[in-house]
Amino acid sequence: MGSPCQIHVMGEKKTELDEFAEECRQQALGFEKKYSRYRSDSILTKINRSAGKKPTKIDAETFALLNYAQVCYEQSKGFFDITSGVLRNLWNAETVKFPSERDLEEHLNKIGFSKLRFNDKEAFLPINGMELDFGGIVKEYAADALAATARKRNISFGLINLGGDIAIIGPKADGAPWQFGIAHPVIKGRTIATIQLSNGSLTTSGGYERFVEIEGERYSHLLNPKTGVPFKSILSASVIADQAIVAGSITSIALLNEETDGLDWLESCNLPYLAIKKNLECIGSLARNE
Amino acid sequence: MKKINPLVALTGAALALPAIAADQPTSAKLSFLSSTYHEKDIKNSTILSGAGKRYDIEKNQFRLVTPLGENWSGDLYVSQEAMSGASPWGTFDGADDESSLIMSGATIRDKRTQVNLSGRKYNEDSSYGFTLTRSKEDDYSAKGFGVSGEWDLNNKLSTVSAGFSFSDDEIKPVDALKFGRIEKGKKQTRSFAAGWTQIINQNSILFTGISHTVKQGLLSDPYKLRDTRPSKKAEWTLSFKYRQYFENRNAALHADYRLYNDDFGVTSHTAGIAWKKSIGDKLKIAPRFRYYSQSEADFYAFGDNYSLAKTEAQSSDHRLSGFGSTTTGVQISYELGKWSMKMSFDRYSSKNSLGHAESEKEHPALLDFTLWSAGFDLEI
Amino acid sequence: MKLLIIKLCFVASFFTSGCSSVEPWERGNLAKPEMQISGDAVDDLLLEQVFYSKEAASGGIGAAGGGCGCN
Repeated sequence: MGSPCQIHVMGEKKTELDEFAEECRQQALGFEKKYSRYRSDSILTKINRSAGKKPTKIDAETFALLNYAQVCYEQSKGFFDITSGVLRNLWNAETVKFPSERDLEEHLNKIGFSKLRFNDKEAFLPINGMELDFGGIVKEYAADALAATARKRNISFGLINLGGDIAIIGPKADGAPWQFGIAHPVIKGRTIATIQLSNGSLTTSGGYERFVEIEGERYSHLLNPKTGVPFKSILSASVIADQAIVAGSITSIALLNEETDGLDWLESCNLPYLAIKKNLECIGSLARNE
Repeated sequence: MKKINPLVALTGAALALPAIAADQPTSAKLSFLSSTYHEKDIKNSTILSGAGKRYDIEKNQFRLVTPLGENWSGDLYVSQEAMSGASPWGTFDGADDESSLIMSGATIRDKRTQVNLSGRKYNEDSSYGFTLTRSKEDDYSAKGFGVSGEWDLNNKLSTVSAGFSFSDDEIKPVDALKFGRIEKGKKQTRSFAAGWTQIINQNSILFTGISHTVKQGLLSDPYKLRDTRPSKKAEWTLSFKYRQYFENRNAALHADYRLYNDDFGVTSHTAGIAWKKSIGDKLKIAPRFRYYSQSEADFYAFGDNYSLAKTEAQSSDHRLSGFGSTTTGVQISYELGKWSMKMSFDRYSSKNSLGHAESEKEHPALLDFTLWSAGFDLEI
Repeated sequence: MKLLIIKLCFVASFFTSGCSSVEPWERGNLAKPEMQISGDAVDDLLLEQVFYSKEAASGGIGAAGGGCGCN
């Protein structure tokens, strides 16, 4: 999945933990095989290649993920859109100037979750060149799935960390909570806050990790699917929820908004959160412990 | 689209994902409820003979529901109650309006134990269950079983359910020889039910159900001095149960209605309403109100006519008279981690005049009672 | 009894054809415990048995049946 994945588990029998680690690896690879847009045999690639041509058969899990993506789309007023990936062609590491009106328009025509037709049996992108990207969803879902596997195997201490999306299996073996440092958005290698957690999930989204600099101005990789232009959002959002997938989409949506709207969104979700504003001010119920 | 809380929407969608759905804590639940039931005493002036003290019941209920493997759940229910008091043996229709009641002479004491054991298998779009029931008291024992199925349709927007149950009961009246009562009687009950549950929109759901029950055997009350009922009875019900959620009030409205009819000639209406309000995350308060009304049975007689042949159907049982009742109550629960503490109070009042088809005279045995309950649920 | 059955079928067909679809992700409120058709089983059984001993009408509580074993 293109990100470092870590599994910390504690138990008494090494063989059991080894077996679990192997099952996790298989399960994570399974998700990658199924949903990666970099693999030619993934279901996602099949849907994308059939765009404008024919519907693709999907299974119950893919249907449930599309359902989930639809809720994100609706709840975010259309800003969280898994069809917005095509904008990456305009905004990437090689981008040196602001995209032209024509380029933007051409790409925006291929975006819009509401254009996707799907039911529990098949999915269809009606316009050639449209693309689905489960980037903001599947990694978090995989973290939840791996944590569930651990619990099924009666592993009670540990955590799953898939590229920063953390699903807790249980506290450390001595009962102590796990401690997470939230990266400082400007100073590399420094943390700006510490969060303690013994259950649930923690995810962080930050626009600072991957950004484009054009004529001295920084643009984040979080793009407005309606205009094709990056948001001037908060720098980072961290949320604790029962499921990593829920925490992950809430933090993503927080950054897919202008700063004040993103903060309002976090507030409306009634979950513990930490947001770092553009002026580096930390706010939210998790902001207290420095 | 109606605005719903983002966390609720996202969590709901996340729980539909297979790997997350399978991980939901299917923990066992233990419930305990202890109740005190107290009937208001009968006015002494209406009693011709016997004791005026009506029933008091102490009841303890225990239930354990637990997952068994991946697709099964098991359910054990045990209840025990201790009753004491006197019950009406008959009525004497006096010349004046103040009718008279003949009560059982001494206080009756009895204990009843009931055990239900159920299992249910869950499939993707259906579930099937069975129940075994056993009930025992000094003079009465019942054995029964039930089977039922549920099937989801239209993307789980609708659920169809059907069930059948059977009960085999035996009554051995105490002091049968002393009072010339029947020594032993049997009763069999067969019941069919079918229902349709429909999701109407994001916040409301409706259940519609019908049932048909046939009882055969000794349906008369052997303790009454003169009580003869047909040995077969057929009953029908039509029920509606409606649930509506009010997002801005954080509350759910329950509205139930049941139409009942049997071939003894009784027609009844039951309407219930409850408002299940959450205050914060932990506290729930649910005021409830129930109205009941029935018409009298064809062979209901206000005063026992001892000159009528014993084969002729006749009963002065107040439960077969035309009357109505109201029940007003409230249930409060408070959650403390894995514990949920519950308390409820209900007050029942019955009157001839509350009914939609009242009997000519108010039966003196129509009663009022109060019911207090306290208990807990525990997730284990 | 004929009347009752006809009424049920009417209600049933009315809802299958006339209802707008409620998607799985929109059923958060319906999943709440206070929105269930059958509520707290222990509490329901208590009241059911109390009313059974006072009133002529009974049944129609749920489709599952099973019998209350009361008299």
